[in-house]
Amino acid sequence: MKLVIGGYAQGKLDYVKENYDMQDSVILDGKIEMTHVSCKKMIVNHLHSWVRSSLEQGKCPEEEIEEFLGQNPDCILISDEVGNGIVPMEPFEREYRERLGRILIRLAKRAESVERVICGIGQRIK
Amino acid sequence: MMTLIIGGSGSGKSEYAESYIASHSMGKDKYYLATMQVFDKEGRRKIERHRRLRQGKGFLTIEQPVSIAEALTQMKQGEKAVLLECMSNLVANEMFCGEKTKKADEVVEKVMHEINLLHRDVTELVIVSNNVFEDGICYDASTMEYLAALGRINERLAGQADEVIEVVVGIPLVCSTRKE
Repeated sequence: MKLVIGGYAQGKLDYVKENYDMQDSVILDGKIEMTHVSCKKMIVNHLHSWVRSSLEQGKCPEEEIEEFLGQNPDCILISDEVGNGIVPMEPFEREYRERLGRILIRLAKRAESVERVICGIGQRIK
Repeated sequence: MMTLIIGGSGSGKSEYAESYIASHSMGKDKYYLATMQVFDKEGRRKIERHRRLRQGKGFLTIEQPVSIAEALTQMKQGEKAVLLECMSNLVANEMFCGEKTKKADEVVEKVMHEINLLHRDVTELVIVSNNVFEDGICYDASTMEYLAALGRINERLAGQADEVIEVVVGIPLVCSTRKE
């Protein structure tokens, strides 16, 4: 699994398409249909949206991601970084930022590489 | 030695800072300067989590939500390694603790003066600060004033620090270093 992170609208997906060998890949956008997905070249874009909607539905995103990685160990995960702002007033927003942050730390530990994209430029940090 | 460790919410900066100071504090008394004030259950949970992270690492905790240099009065003689967590809370407390919100300039000068007192007396000072600057939202005047104060303090700390480290998804990235 490879992890790509960065701020909003930094060109992460384009960066992945250009720099990783991902022709003919399946791109999941912000959600996972667990039952029928499983292929060699898999990109999850907007992983943060997945985490968010999972929390909104009262589910456990950590478990869902775990299950997904079990089926797709070679995927590329793309997520926004959302923790670099003023702590939100809304409790759910705080919970979301914390949970996503911790999830990304765990994913980064497992990932074979981590890249951070800014202005379309990737920086390998692991 | 002064080290600035910065990162966003949930970036893993605390955990990194704690392991960093553990490896730089051999033979020194270890202090944890806690600046967060607790008002509710969520705050208590946060503190509990941090306490668990620190458990068994031999820190003596000093609660110091404002006037950070006063923590020195509670420290023993001898070599000290101090972890201050977190600058973002200290600055908020200084700015909003009185009846009237203080101006950024006043807060910056007070905090930097007290940090320098602390720095002078401490062998190893590690300061954790928060990157709260990248959500692109235009807040009310007092929050913008707060951002200005914290931003300037981070800048000045970074100028003085021997090492500045940004933590991203748990990965430490060295921004600048004067160490060999």
